[in-house]
Amino acid sequence: MNNENKLKGRDLINVGIYSAIYFVIMMAVAMLGMIPIFLPLLSVIVPILGGIPFMLFLTKVKKPGMIFIMAMIMGIMMLITGMGPWPLLTCAVAGIIAELVVRSGQYKSVAKSILAYGFFSMWIWGNYLPLFTDYEGYFAQRESYGQAYIDALQKLMPLWMAPVLLIACFVCGIAGGFLGRVLLKKHFEKAGIV
Amino acid sequence: MKYSSESAQEKRRGFLDPRTKIALTVCMAVFVLGGLGGTVMEPVKNALSVLPFLLLLIEKQWNRFLRGFMMLAIGYGLLFLMPHLQGTLQFVALMCGGILTRFVVTVVMGEYLVGTTSVSEFISAMERLHMPQEITIPMSVMFRLFPTIGAEWKSIRRAMGMRGISLGGVRAGQLLEYQMVPMMTSSVRIGEELSASALTRGLGAPVKRTNICRIGFRIQDILLLFVCIVTVVLWIMSLCGVALWNN
Repeated sequence: MNNENKLKGRDLINVGIYSAIYFVIMMAVAMLGMIPIFLPLLSVIVPILGGIPFMLFLTKVKKPGMIFIMAMIMGIMMLITGMGPWPLLTCAVAGIIAELVVRSGQYKSVAKSILAYGFFSMWIWGNYLPLFTDYEGYFAQRESYGQAYIDALQKLMPLWMAPVLLIACFVCGIAGGFLGRVLLKKHFEKAGIV
Repeated sequence: MKYSSESAQEKRRGFLDPRTKIALTVCMAVFVLGGLGGTVMEPVKNALSVLPFLLLLIEKQWNRFLRGFMMLAIGYGLLFLMPHLQGTLQFVALMCGGILTRFVVTVVMGEYLVGTTSVSEFISAMERLHMPQEITIPMSVMFRLFPTIGAEWKSIRRAMGMRGISLGGVRAGQLLEYQMVPMMTSSVRIGEELSASALTRGLGAPVKRTNICRIGFRIQDILLLFVCIVTVVLWIMSLCGVALWNN
């Protein structure tokens, strides 16, 4: 590793800027998750909308480590916002895979960056894990929301949904990556911020 | 300069050390919001829930206190009204009440953390915790940007609403393109200006930064950190199957 590959202040600030945008969009969407039907749908909506800031972010990524740092920050933010320790784990794994994929394209390849966003999106799955790892306990805690809420949620989230949601995250991540690329071409390049 | 003198720094010093605030916030998030420990921990959680409101009062953050208090009151009001309502309305009241009473406390704690900690204080606290720069710089940029992004988004929503691009508007389909794209463009621009100003002030420089913020643990910090530790210890005890209370 030579000096050029070391992360400097500007790179770290860039990570912060795009993490903030990504996080705000994610939280705005995640509020919908309070309504039972939207809870599984979050693994569709969040990756698609998040693709826009992430693709923009990838145009700034030229050095190894930035994607992994962003993933870890998402994990920490999830811990602070009360999603438990699971996202930290999935973030680390998804971050490393995404980092390696982008790296294999020398931080230039468009196809690789879309694929990487698919892998990156899989961290969202960690938010569902408290539900699937402790199925009974999770619903016992949510008793204060009312029996109707629990019934609706249990119908929507049977145990076999776990792998389905993981795949949904990946597929929608790819779709989000394409959407991000399209908007990147249409707007951001024109505006001169790429 | 007046504000950089020792005494002015002492006057501006917050009630708590940022590290205590972070420890408390994580504790809240994990136990009160995340629901770790289940129903056995209920009394501890209730005790924890009072803290953020108390802290806001001590720091004289009246607006934040009132807002949090109102939300909590609405939540409990809905739960109180719930048995007298019918059908769907009852379901909605129960859900909203449950969500409000569950979330407000941690949201208030987060507001307290963000509202009373300056970026310098945060960075200085993180340095003392020996957190790597790779985490602290992006995190402090994020916390600095959240209010800005919120304000930008609000004004863009208003501007686009005039053109009928809003959730209930005629051109709701174009919501994504004409709200999110400008929001991101302006946030990135602001972020770049921020980055220029931060770099001028030596953020991310290879040398160690100095800081005039005065932080450090005082008696109130030790007390609250003790509360956090007690919570964790009680949780571990309950995991080991020790009966905490006799009822």
